[in-house]
Amino acid sequence: MDELEIDRELLTQTFLAEAEETLARMEQALVALEATPGDDELLHAVFRDAHTLKGGASLVGFDPVRDLAHDLEDVLERLRNRSLTVTDTLVTLLLRSVDVLRSALTDAAGGSATPSQAVLTFRSHLADAAQAAGGAAPAAGGDAPPHSPRDGGEGGASGGDGGAPEPAIPHAASRTLRVDVGKLDRMLDLSGEIAIARGRLTELLERRGGGADDALEAHRDADRLYLDLQELIMRARMVAIGPTFHQHVRTVRDVATAAGKHARLVVEGEDVEVDTAVVEHVRDPLTHMVRNAIDHGVEPPEVRRARGKDPVGRVVLRALHDAGSMVIQVEDDGGGLDKEKIAAKAVALGLAADAARVTDDDVARVVFEPGLSTAEKVTEISGRGVGMDVVRRNVEALRGAVSIESEPGRGTTVTIRVPLTLAIIQGFKVAVADETFILPLDAVVECVELPPEETARAAPWGVIELRGKPLPYLRLRDHFALAGARPARENVVVVRHGALAAGFAVDVLHGESSTVLKPLGRLFKGVVGVAGSSILGNGRVALMLDVAGLLRETLKRAAQAAAA
Amino acid sequence: MAKTTETVERAQYLSFSLAGSEYGVGILKVKEILQYESVTKVPSTPRSVRGVINLRGQVVPVIDLAAKFGLPETEVTRLTCILIVEVLLEGQPTVIGVLADAVREVIELGSDDVEPAPAFGTQVKVDFLLGMGKVGKRFVLLLDLDRVISADEKEFAREVAAAPADAPDAQPAAATSAA
Repeated sequence: MDELEIDRELLTQTFLAEAEETLARMEQALVALEATPGDDELLHAVFRDAHTLKGGASLVGFDPVRDLAHDLEDVLERLRNRSLTVTDTLVTLLLRSVDVLRSALTDAAGGSATPSQAVLTFRSHLADAAQAAGGAAPAAGGDAPPHSPRDGGEGGASGGDGGAPEPAIPHAASRTLRVDVGKLDRMLDLSGEIAIARGRLTELLERRGGGADDALEAHRDADRLYLDLQELIMRARMVAIGPTFHQHVRTVRDVATAAGKHARLVVEGEDVEVDTAVVEHVRDPLTHMVRNAIDHGVEPPEVRRARGKDPVGRVVLRALHDAGSMVIQVEDDGGGLDKEKIAAKAVALGLAADAARVTDDDVARVVFEPGLSTAEKVTEISGRGVGMDVVRRNVEALRGAVSIESEPGRGTTVTIRVPLTLAIIQGFKVAVADETFILPLDAVVECVELPPEETARAAPWGVIELRGKPLPYLRLRDHFALAGARPARENVVVVRHGALAAGFAVDVLHGESSTVLKPLGRLFKGVVGVAGSSILGNGRVALMLDVAGLLRETLKRAAQAAAA
Repeated sequence: MAKTTETVERAQYLSFSLAGSEYGVGILKVKEILQYESVTKVPSTPRSVRGVINLRGQVVPVIDLAAKFGLPETEVTRLTCILIVEVLLEGQPTVIGVLADAVREVIELGSDDVEPAPAFGTQVKVDFLLGMGKVGKRFVLLLDLDRVISADEKEFAREVAAAPADAPDAQPAAATSAA
């Protein structure tokens, strides 16, 4: 009995995971169908998916989902035998049915065995649509069943029918396996710990000198194998960004329709792979950016016509690899940032003194400030003043950066740059007093010696001259209130985050190394300036600095001093 | 108070000395005892948070109970240990380290060996104590670590929030706990 329950639980979990993918695929196909109404292949694909869903739902006993999928099949069947034609309204209805299916799935997964009122109402809409085919419908419907698998719906769907659509999927050739992400996380954790342990062993063997040569050699041989394994573990976590991008096909359509605009989504670089944890974290920022592109970027069709553009706006989602990072761009061919409006808003919020003196660079910076929104009316989508600042916060939490470029009348491109993986990074080690700190290597631009007069001044922060330009710096010893004598010579690590640059004064530079990031835990939630921790080769814990946070702190102090 | 004494039946405690007093914690809470090793300081944390250590790849915070109780910070000697304990923090089991001047022994106490904690006369707030364990002629302060650490966390959140403006805010609380 118990085992049966467990089997059922497993079955349900599998079904739910697959159903989510099936629904996403249906959405994409439906939106594509709207663009090319005559494409039978798409229609068949949607039908197959609806049928798969019905079979699965019936197998796990989600009756409301099964019935809904069945009704959806009815409408699709009419489309297949041409007694209904693809219209915008119909596609909207079909897309709605995907939403209703989703909520019905959630209800059923939550244990509800009876369909909710919303589902029942929606089913009657679907039935109406199926009937709306007019006089020809009954006849056409009459000869549909023989070649349709839908007939077997009630009884047959419970068993063998669930497997029936399988051969219809042509690209099932590659052997794949679903793995719990938690297991992959643990594998990565362990590989990081092994790296630390091995580093320690190397150090010990090297210190032994002569007598341990053969042991050291054997150890180095094994190291190569270990590196291969680590590489493989990292690769196993990589997923293509494509499915995440394609989810926005729907967003673009819905947002554009709601705003009375026309836009289509173009996806580039969908094969670009990135760590699965990164995908999770860019999802929300991406939604914000896509919505903004349509709401703020793409103009209404009549304006676009007047400007000599295609009335249908184009939003491009692009992914590419660049120097160990993944770059995602959201590009629209709309009107560009409204500099005057943004400048006025910036002045109103006290971010700028004079609207006339706000430069393009300033504009590109202030759009990421909280509270800035130039949408005149608050819509469901934008105008509440939350948006780009949320994007920036989320991206920075990933140790990424975000920037915006805009050309009046030609469009806007928002670029986010995030690391390919979150757990293992290239770090740059520095020491202050007895403590070692780690900076992400990609944030480090260069290192210079602190001029003697600045060392003598011994202030918590200051400004040095770097190749003719002023560079504010923060002395980490004072900022973190670390004890101990100040060395005779100090170094400045020049860091960059986005367009901002500043220096951190430290005692000693230790150079780069591969670093496994660890969270600091609940007790340290509120600590500012520290992004996490890592374990050094000697077994000690080193803190990972939050470059974006410290950099802003430095610039804030410099600005306050300049104002005073 | 009466309630807590009832719950203590025959139980084992690990006793340790800290700042001149002897304390006990339930043996089941203690996962292991480490010799003191270098602790990495975390900036802008309260005095009672000594820092973090590496426990076989896990980053674990270390708490100085003496500082927590408003006493001078624990000085590290040859005998200083870190007790690795599991406490409930916001309802979640969390592994932390606690500093001890020296670990003493495992003691077994029946419920009749445990007296309710006096309302005054100890270094520690009554809230933090399960009771006073009687071992021969001496008394061992039995700590309710879940409470001690959770209080720590709240105080910490307040201190961090108030840090730049008025740090002294946290001082009165520390002073009363010492009284």
